[in-house]
Amino acid sequence: MLNGLDIEGNSPLHRMPVRGKLILLFTAAILLLLISDLRILVPALALTALLYLSTGIGLKEAFRRTRFVLFTVLLVALANYLFHSVHEALVVFCRLSALVLLAAAVTATTGISAFMDEITRLITPLERFGFVRAADVSLAVGLVIRFVPEIFARYGEIADAHRARGLRVRPLTMLVPLIILTLKDADTIAMAIDARGFRRH
Amino acid sequence: MTTRDIVLVALFAAIMVVLGLLPPITLGFIPVPITAQSLGPMLAGCILGARRGSAAMLLVLLLVAIGLPVLSGGRGGLAIFAGPTAGYIIGWVVGAFVCGLIAERLVREDQSELSQFISFLVASVIGGIGIVYLFGMPWLAYMSGKAFFETAAASLVFLPGDLIKAFVAMLAARAVLAGYPLLPQRA
Repeated sequence: MLNGLDIEGNSPLHRMPVRGKLILLFTAAILLLLISDLRILVPALALTALLYLSTGIGLKEAFRRTRFVLFTVLLVALANYLFHSVHEALVVFCRLSALVLLAAAVTATTGISAFMDEITRLITPLERFGFVRAADVSLAVGLVIRFVPEIFARYGEIADAHRARGLRVRPLTMLVPLIILTLKDADTIAMAIDARGFRRH
Repeated sequence: MTTRDIVLVALFAAIMVVLGLLPPITLGFIPVPITAQSLGPMLAGCILGARRGSAAMLLVLLLVAIGLPVLSGGRGGLAIFAGPTAGYIIGWVVGAFVCGLIAERLVREDQSELSQFISFLVASVIGGIGIVYLFGMPWLAYMSGKAFFETAAASLVFLPGDLIKAFVAMLAARAVLAGYPLLPQRA
Protein backbone atom coordinates (compact mmCIF):
# COMPACT_ATOMS: atom_id res chain seq x y z
CA MET A 1 0.00 0.00 0.00
CA LEU A 2 2.83 2.37 0.80
CA ASN A 3 5.30 2.34 -2.05
CA GLY A 4 8.14 4.80 -2.29
CA LEU A 5 8.38 7.45 -4.99
CA ASP A 6 11.78 6.29 -6.19
CA ILE A 7 12.27 5.06 -9.74
CA GLU A 8 14.68 2.27 -10.71
CA GLY A 9 17.48 3.52 -12.89
CA ASN A 10 21.14 4.20 -13.34
CA SER A 11 21.31 7.91 -14.12
CA PRO A 12 24.11 10.09 -12.67
CA LEU A 13 21.69 11.24 -9.96
CA HIS A 14 20.92 7.62 -9.06
CA ARG A 15 24.60 6.89 -8.56
CA MET A 16 25.25 9.94 -6.40
CA PRO A 17 25.41 9.33 -2.64
CA VAL A 18 22.33 10.45 -0.67
CA ARG A 19 24.24 12.99 1.37
CA GLY A 20 25.68 14.52 -1.78
CA LYS A 21 22.21 14.91 -3.25
CA LEU A 22 20.89 16.56 -0.10
CA ILE A 23 23.82 18.98 0.00
CA LEU A 24 23.26 19.74 -3.70
CA LEU A 25 19.57 20.42 -3.08
CA PHE A 26 20.27 22.61 -0.07
CA THR A 27 22.93 24.65 -1.88
CA ALA A 28 20.70 25.03 -4.92
CA ALA A 29 17.84 26.23 -2.70
CA ILE A 30 19.97 28.95 -1.12
CA LEU A 31 21.42 30.08 -4.46
CA LEU A 32 18.01 30.13 -6.17
CA LEU A 33 16.53 32.26 -3.39
CA LEU A 34 19.41 34.75 -3.63
CA ILE A 35 19.44 35.09 -7.42
CA SER A 36 16.74 37.13 -9.13
CA ASP A 37 18.33 37.47 -12.57
CA LEU A 38 16.21 35.84 -15.26
CA ARG A 39 19.31 35.17 -17.38
CA ILE A 40 20.36 32.64 -14.72
CA LEU A 41 16.93 31.49 -13.52
CA VAL A 42 15.54 30.43 -16.91
CA PRO A 43 18.51 28.16 -17.72
CA ALA A 44 18.35 26.87 -14.15
CA LEU A 45 14.72 25.85 -14.64
CA ALA A 46 15.53 24.18 -17.96
CA LEU A 47 18.44 22.34 -16.35
CA THR A 48 16.40 21.03 -13.41
CA ALA A 49 13.58 19.96 -15.74
CA LEU A 50 16.11 18.02 -17.84
CA LEU A 51 17.63 16.53 -14.71
CA TYR A 52 14.20 15.43 -13.46
CA LEU A 53 13.32 13.82 -16.80
CA SER A 54 16.77 12.19 -17.03
CA THR A 55 15.79 10.02 -14.05
CA GLY A 56 13.66 8.01 -16.50
CA ILE A 57 10.40 8.97 -14.83
CA GLY A 58 8.40 9.72 -17.98
CA LEU A 59 6.60 12.97 -18.72
CA LYS A 60 3.16 11.93 -17.47
CA GLU A 61 4.28 10.59 -14.10
CA ALA A 62 6.67 13.52 -13.67
CA PHE A 63 3.78 15.94 -14.07
CA ARG A 64 1.38 13.90 -11.93
CA ARG A 65 3.77 14.06 -8.98
CA THR A 66 4.57 17.72 -9.08
CA ARG A 67 1.30 19.19 -10.31
CA PHE A 68 -0.02 20.16 -6.87
CA VAL A 69 3.12 22.00 -5.78
CA LEU A 70 3.52 23.54 -9.25
CA PHE A 71 -0.08 24.72 -9.01
CA THR A 72 0.70 26.62 -5.80
CA VAL A 73 3.80 28.03 -7.50
CA LEU A 74 1.61 29.20 -10.37
CA LEU A 75 -0.80 30.90 -7.96
CA VAL A 76 2.07 32.75 -6.30
CA ALA A 77 3.41 33.79 -9.73
CA LEU A 78 -0.07 34.94 -10.72
CA ALA A 79 -0.28 37.13 -7.63
CA ASN A 80 3.04 38.71 -8.59
CA TYR A 81 1.78 39.32 -12.12
CA LEU A 82 -1.48 40.89 -10.94
CA PHE A 83 -0.01 43.15 -8.26
CA HIS A 84 3.48 43.80 -9.61
CA SER A 85 4.96 42.96 -13.00
CA VAL A 86 5.48 40.21 -15.54
CA HIS A 87 9.17 40.25 -14.67
CA GLU A 88 8.52 39.55 -10.99
CA ALA A 89 6.08 36.78 -11.89
CA LEU A 90 8.64 35.09 -14.15
CA VAL A 91 11.38 35.35 -11.52
CA VAL A 92 9.21 33.74 -8.87
CA PHE A 93 7.90 31.09 -11.25
CA CYS A 94 11.34 30.03 -12.54
CA ARG A 95 12.94 30.10 -9.10
CA LEU A 96 10.30 28.03 -7.31
CA SER A 97 9.64 25.59 -10.16
CA ALA A 98 13.36 24.87 -10.50
CA LEU A 99 13.55 24.18 -6.77
CA VAL A 100 10.49 21.91 -6.83
CA LEU A 101 11.73 19.93 -9.85
CA LEU A 102 15.18 19.45 -8.32
CA ALA A 103 13.65 18.22 -5.08
CA ALA A 104 11.38 15.86 -7.01
CA ALA A 105 14.42 14.58 -8.93
CA VAL A 106 16.23 13.80 -5.66
CA THR A 107 13.17 11.94 -4.37
CA ALA A 108 12.80 10.00 -7.62
CA THR A 109 16.39 8.77 -7.45
CA THR A 110 16.65 7.91 -3.76
CA GLY A 111 15.25 4.67 -2.35
CA ILE A 112 13.39 4.65 0.97
CA SER A 113 15.93 2.45 2.74
CA ALA A 114 18.94 4.40 1.42
CA PHE A 115 17.34 7.62 2.61
CA MET A 116 16.45 6.09 5.98
CA ASP A 117 20.06 4.90 6.43
CA GLU A 118 21.28 8.43 5.79
CA ILE A 119 18.74 9.85 8.27
CA THR A 120 19.92 7.34 10.87
CA ARG A 121 23.53 8.41 10.30
CA LEU A 122 22.57 12.07 10.57
CA ILE A 123 20.69 11.71 13.87
CA THR A 124 23.13 9.33 15.57
CA PRO A 125 25.28 12.26 16.83
CA LEU A 126 22.15 13.67 18.51
CA GLU A 127 21.90 10.55 20.70
CA ARG A 128 24.61 11.98 22.93
CA PHE A 129 22.29 14.80 24.00
CA GLY A 130 19.51 12.36 24.79
CA PHE A 131 16.96 13.90 22.39
CA VAL A 132 16.29 10.89 20.29
CA ARG A 133 17.56 7.40 19.61
CA ALA A 134 18.19 6.53 15.98
CA ALA A 135 16.98 2.96 16.49
CA ASP A 136 13.65 4.28 17.86
CA VAL A 137 13.13 6.43 14.77
CA SER A 138 13.67 3.44 12.47
CA LEU A 139 11.34 1.38 14.66
CA ALA A 140 8.63 4.04 14.43
CA VAL A 141 8.96 4.32 10.63
CA GLY A 142 8.73 0.53 10.35
CA LEU A 143 5.63 0.47 12.57
CA VAL A 144 3.83 3.06 10.44
CA ILE A 145 4.51 1.16 7.22
CA ARG A 146 3.39 -2.06 8.92
CA PHE A 147 0.14 -0.68 10.34
CA VAL A 148 -1.21 1.58 7.58
CA PRO A 149 -2.90 -1.29 5.65
CA GLU A 150 -4.41 -2.59 8.88
CA ILE A 151 -5.84 0.78 9.91
CA PHE A 152 -7.14 1.32 6.38
CA ALA A 153 -8.95 -2.03 6.57
CA ARG A 154 -10.34 -1.03 9.96
CA TYR A 155 -11.70 2.16 8.42
CA GLY A 156 -13.56 -0.01 5.90
CA GLU A 157 -14.97 -2.16 8.70
CA ILE A 158 -16.25 0.86 10.62
CA ALA A 159 -17.86 2.21 7.44
CA ASP A 160 -19.53 -1.20 6.91
CA ALA A 161 -20.77 -1.15 10.50
CA HIS A 162 -22.33 2.24 9.81
CA ARG A 163 -24.08 0.96 6.70
CA ALA A 164 -25.31 -2.19 8.44
CA ARG A 165 -27.04 0.05 10.98
CA GLY A 166 -28.43 2.39 8.37
CA LEU A 167 -26.24 5.29 9.53
CA ARG A 168 -24.63 7.81 7.24
CA VAL A 169 -20.84 7.59 7.09
CA ARG A 170 -19.89 10.91 8.68
CA PRO A 171 -16.36 12.11 9.44
CA LEU A 172 -16.87 12.49 13.16
CA THR A 173 -18.56 9.16 13.81
CA MET A 174 -15.79 7.47 11.79
CA LEU A 175 -12.86 9.32 13.33
CA VAL A 176 -13.54 8.57 16.99
CA PRO A 177 -13.90 4.76 16.78
CA LEU A 178 -10.96 4.63 14.35
CA ILE A 179 -8.68 6.49 16.77
CA ILE A 180 -9.82 4.67 19.91
CA LEU A 181 -9.67 1.18 18.37
CA THR A 182 -6.25 1.85 16.85
CA LEU A 183 -4.61 3.43 19.89
CA LYS A 184 -5.98 0.69 22.15
CA ASP A 185 -3.67 -1.75 20.34
CA ALA A 186 -0.64 0.21 21.58
CA ASP A 187 -0.32 -1.79 24.81
CA THR A 188 -0.17 -5.20 23.16
CA ILE A 189 2.16 -3.97 20.40
CA ALA A 190 4.48 -2.36 22.96
CA MET A 191 4.47 -5.56 25.03
CA ALA A 192 5.30 -7.62 21.95
CA ILE A 193 8.21 -5.31 21.10
CA ASP A 194 9.57 -5.41 24.66
CA ALA A 195 9.12 -9.18 24.93
CA ARG A 196 11.36 -9.61 21.89
CA GLY A 197 13.95 -7.27 23.36
CA PHE A 198 14.06 -4.88 20.40
CA ARG A 199 14.86 -1.88 22.56
CA ARG A 200 17.69 -3.25 24.69
CA HIS A 201 19.72 -0.55 26.34
CA MET B 1 9.84 7.86 25.76
CA THR B 2 8.72 4.37 26.67
CA THR B 3 8.05 1.68 24.08
CA ARG B 4 4.33 2.36 24.50
CA ASP B 5 4.85 6.05 23.70
CA ILE B 6 6.78 5.19 20.54
CA VAL B 7 4.02 2.79 19.48
CA LEU B 8 1.34 5.44 20.16
CA VAL B 9 3.29 7.99 18.10
CA ALA B 10 3.68 5.52 15.22
CA LEU B 11 0.03 4.45 15.32
CA PHE B 12 -1.13 8.05 15.30
CA ALA B 13 1.13 8.84 12.34
CA ALA B 14 -0.34 5.78 10.60
CA ILE B 15 -3.88 7.07 11.28
CA MET B 16 -2.86 10.34 9.66
CA VAL B 17 -1.55 8.51 6.61
CA VAL B 18 -4.87 6.63 6.35
CA LEU B 19 -6.81 9.91 6.62
CA GLY B 20 -4.78 11.12 3.63
CA LEU B 21 -5.85 8.08 1.59
CA LEU B 22 -9.53 8.92 1.99
CA PRO B 23 -11.26 11.20 -0.51
CA PRO B 24 -11.62 14.81 0.70
CA ILE B 25 -14.91 15.86 2.25
CA THR B 26 -16.76 18.73 0.62
CA LEU B 27 -19.02 20.83 2.81
CA GLY B 28 -21.84 22.69 1.13
CA PHE B 29 -21.07 26.19 2.28
CA ILE B 30 -17.33 26.53 1.69
CA PRO B 31 -15.70 26.00 -1.70
CA VAL B 32 -12.46 24.37 -0.55
CA PRO B 33 -12.65 20.60 0.11
CA ILE B 34 -11.57 19.58 3.59
CA THR B 35 -8.97 16.85 3.83
CA ALA B 36 -9.35 14.95 7.06
CA GLN B 37 -5.56 14.83 7.22
CA SER B 38 -5.23 18.50 8.13
CA LEU B 39 -7.06 17.70 11.37
CA GLY B 40 -3.84 15.87 12.29
CA PRO B 41 -1.96 18.52 14.28
CA MET B 42 -5.02 19.43 16.36
CA LEU B 43 -5.96 15.81 17.05
CA ALA B 44 -2.35 14.79 17.77
CA GLY B 45 -1.94 17.55 20.34
CA CYS B 46 -5.35 17.10 21.97
CA ILE B 47 -5.19 13.31 22.16
CA LEU B 48 -1.52 12.46 22.68
CA GLY B 49 -0.32 15.65 24.38
CA ALA B 50 2.58 17.94 23.51
CA ARG B 51 5.58 15.62 23.24
CA ARG B 52 3.97 12.56 21.70
CA GLY B 53 1.72 14.68 19.47
CA SER B 54 4.56 16.69 17.96
CA ALA B 55 6.62 13.50 17.62
CA ALA B 56 3.78 11.97 15.58
CA MET B 57 3.73 14.98 13.26
CA LEU B 58 7.53 14.89 12.96
CA LEU B 59 7.28 11.23 12.01
CA VAL B 60 4.79 12.05 9.24
CA LEU B 61 7.15 14.75 7.92
CA LEU B 62 10.00 12.23 7.98
CA LEU B 63 7.92 9.80 5.92
CA VAL B 64 7.19 12.60 3.44
CA ALA B 65 10.88 13.52 3.23
CA ILE B 66 12.16 10.01 2.58
CA GLY B 67 9.77 9.77 -0.37
CA LEU B 68 6.58 8.05 0.77
CA PRO B 69 3.39 9.48 -0.77
CA VAL B 70 1.66 9.91 2.59
CA LEU B 71 0.08 13.36 2.22
CA SER B 72 -3.48 13.63 0.94
CA GLY B 73 -3.79 13.10 -2.80
CA GLY B 74 -0.73 10.84 -2.82
CA ARG B 75 1.69 13.73 -2.42
CA GLY B 76 5.11 13.21 -0.94
CA GLY B 77 8.82 13.60 -1.46
CA LEU B 78 11.17 16.51 -0.96
CA ALA B 79 9.24 18.65 -3.47
CA ILE B 80 6.69 19.30 -0.70
CA PHE B 81 9.39 21.07 1.33
CA ALA B 82 10.51 23.10 -1.69
CA GLY B 83 7.07 24.52 -2.50
CA PRO B 84 5.64 27.82 -1.29
CA THR B 85 3.29 26.15 1.22
CA ALA B 86 5.98 24.16 3.04
CA GLY B 87 5.73 26.44 6.08
CA TYR B 88 2.26 25.17 6.92
CA ILE B 89 3.50 21.58 6.95
CA ILE B 90 6.48 22.51 9.16
CA GLY B 91 4.00 24.35 11.37
CA TRP B 92 2.18 21.06 12.04
CA VAL B 93 4.97 19.95 14.39
CA VAL B 94 5.05 23.09 16.52
CA GLY B 95 1.27 23.44 16.22
CA ALA B 96 0.71 19.97 17.65
CA PHE B 97 3.18 20.74 20.45
CA VAL B 98 1.47 23.98 21.47
CA CYS B 99 -1.98 22.41 21.08
CA GLY B 100 -0.88 19.57 23.37
CA LEU B 101 0.69 21.94 25.87
CA ILE B 102 -2.55 23.92 26.20
CA ALA B 103 -4.71 20.79 26.33
CA GLU B 104 -2.49 19.25 29.02
CA ARG B 105 -2.80 22.39 31.18
CA LEU B 106 -6.51 23.04 30.70
CA VAL B 107 -8.21 19.66 30.37
CA ARG B 108 -8.84 17.49 33.41
CA GLU B 109 -10.90 14.33 33.56
CA ASP B 110 -13.04 15.54 36.48
CA GLN B 111 -14.12 18.71 34.65
CA SER B 112 -17.59 19.24 33.31
CA GLU B 113 -18.18 18.29 29.71
CA LEU B 114 -18.58 21.91 28.63
CA SER B 115 -15.27 23.09 30.06
CA GLN B 116 -13.53 20.15 28.39
CA PHE B 117 -15.08 21.15 25.07
CA ILE B 118 -14.00 24.76 25.50
CA SER B 119 -10.47 23.76 26.53
CA PHE B 120 -10.05 21.52 23.49
CA LEU B 121 -11.40 24.24 21.20
CA VAL B 122 -8.97 26.81 22.63
CA ALA B 123 -6.08 24.36 22.21
CA SER B 124 -7.08 23.51 18.63
CA VAL B 125 -7.55 27.12 17.57
CA ILE B 126 -4.31 28.41 19.11
CA GLY B 127 -2.10 25.42 18.29
CA GLY B 128 -3.73 23.99 15.20
CA ILE B 129 -4.57 27.27 13.48
CA GLY B 130 -2.61 30.13 15.11
CA ILE B 131 0.77 28.41 15.28
CA VAL B 132 0.40 26.65 11.92
CA TYR B 133 -0.39 29.98 10.24
CA LEU B 134 2.46 31.62 12.16
CA PHE B 135 4.84 29.29 10.33
CA GLY B 136 2.94 29.04 7.05
CA MET B 137 2.30 32.68 6.25
CA PRO B 138 5.81 34.16 6.63
CA TRP B 139 7.24 31.30 4.56
CA LEU B 140 4.64 31.82 1.86
CA ALA B 141 5.31 35.56 1.97
CA TYR B 142 9.06 35.03 1.65
CA MET B 143 8.67 32.63 -1.26
CA SER B 144 6.24 34.99 -3.02
CA GLY B 145 8.84 37.65 -3.69
CA LYS B 146 7.31 41.09 -4.18
CA ALA B 147 3.68 40.01 -3.83
CA PHE B 148 4.33 38.85 -0.26
CA PHE B 149 1.53 40.80 1.33
CA GLU B 150 -1.13 39.79 -1.21
CA THR B 151 -0.43 36.05 -1.12
CA ALA B 152 -0.24 35.97 2.68
CA ALA B 153 -3.56 37.78 2.89
CA ALA B 154 -5.10 35.50 0.25
CA SER B 155 -4.17 32.44 2.30
CA LEU B 156 -6.68 33.63 4.89
CA VAL B 157 -9.48 32.18 2.72
CA PHE B 158 -8.70 28.86 4.40
CA LEU B 159 -9.52 30.27 7.84
CA PRO B 160 -13.28 29.40 7.83
CA GLY B 161 -12.51 25.80 6.85
CA ASP B 162 -9.85 25.59 9.54
CA LEU B 163 -12.27 26.86 12.17
CA ILE B 164 -14.66 24.05 11.23
CA LYS B 165 -11.76 21.62 11.58
CA ALA B 166 -10.99 22.98 15.04
CA PHE B 167 -14.60 22.30 15.95
CA VAL B 168 -14.44 18.73 14.61
CA ALA B 169 -11.13 18.19 16.45
CA MET B 170 -12.75 19.46 19.66
CA LEU B 171 -15.63 16.96 19.39
CA ALA B 172 -13.33 14.07 18.47
CA ALA B 173 -10.74 14.85 21.17
CA ARG B 174 -13.37 15.00 23.89
CA ALA B 175 -14.93 11.72 22.69
CA VAL B 176 -11.52 10.01 22.71
CA LEU B 177 -10.81 11.41 26.19
CA ALA B 178 -14.04 9.84 27.41
CA GLY B 179 -13.41 6.53 25.64
CA TYR B 180 -9.67 6.00 26.01
CA PRO B 181 -7.92 8.80 27.94
CA LEU B 182 -4.27 9.22 26.97
CA LEU B 183 -3.80 12.95 27.60
CA PRO B 184 -3.58 12.76 31.42
CA GLN B 185 -0.59 10.40 31.32
CA ARG B 186 2.00 12.62 29.75
CA ALA B 187 5.04 11.29 27.96
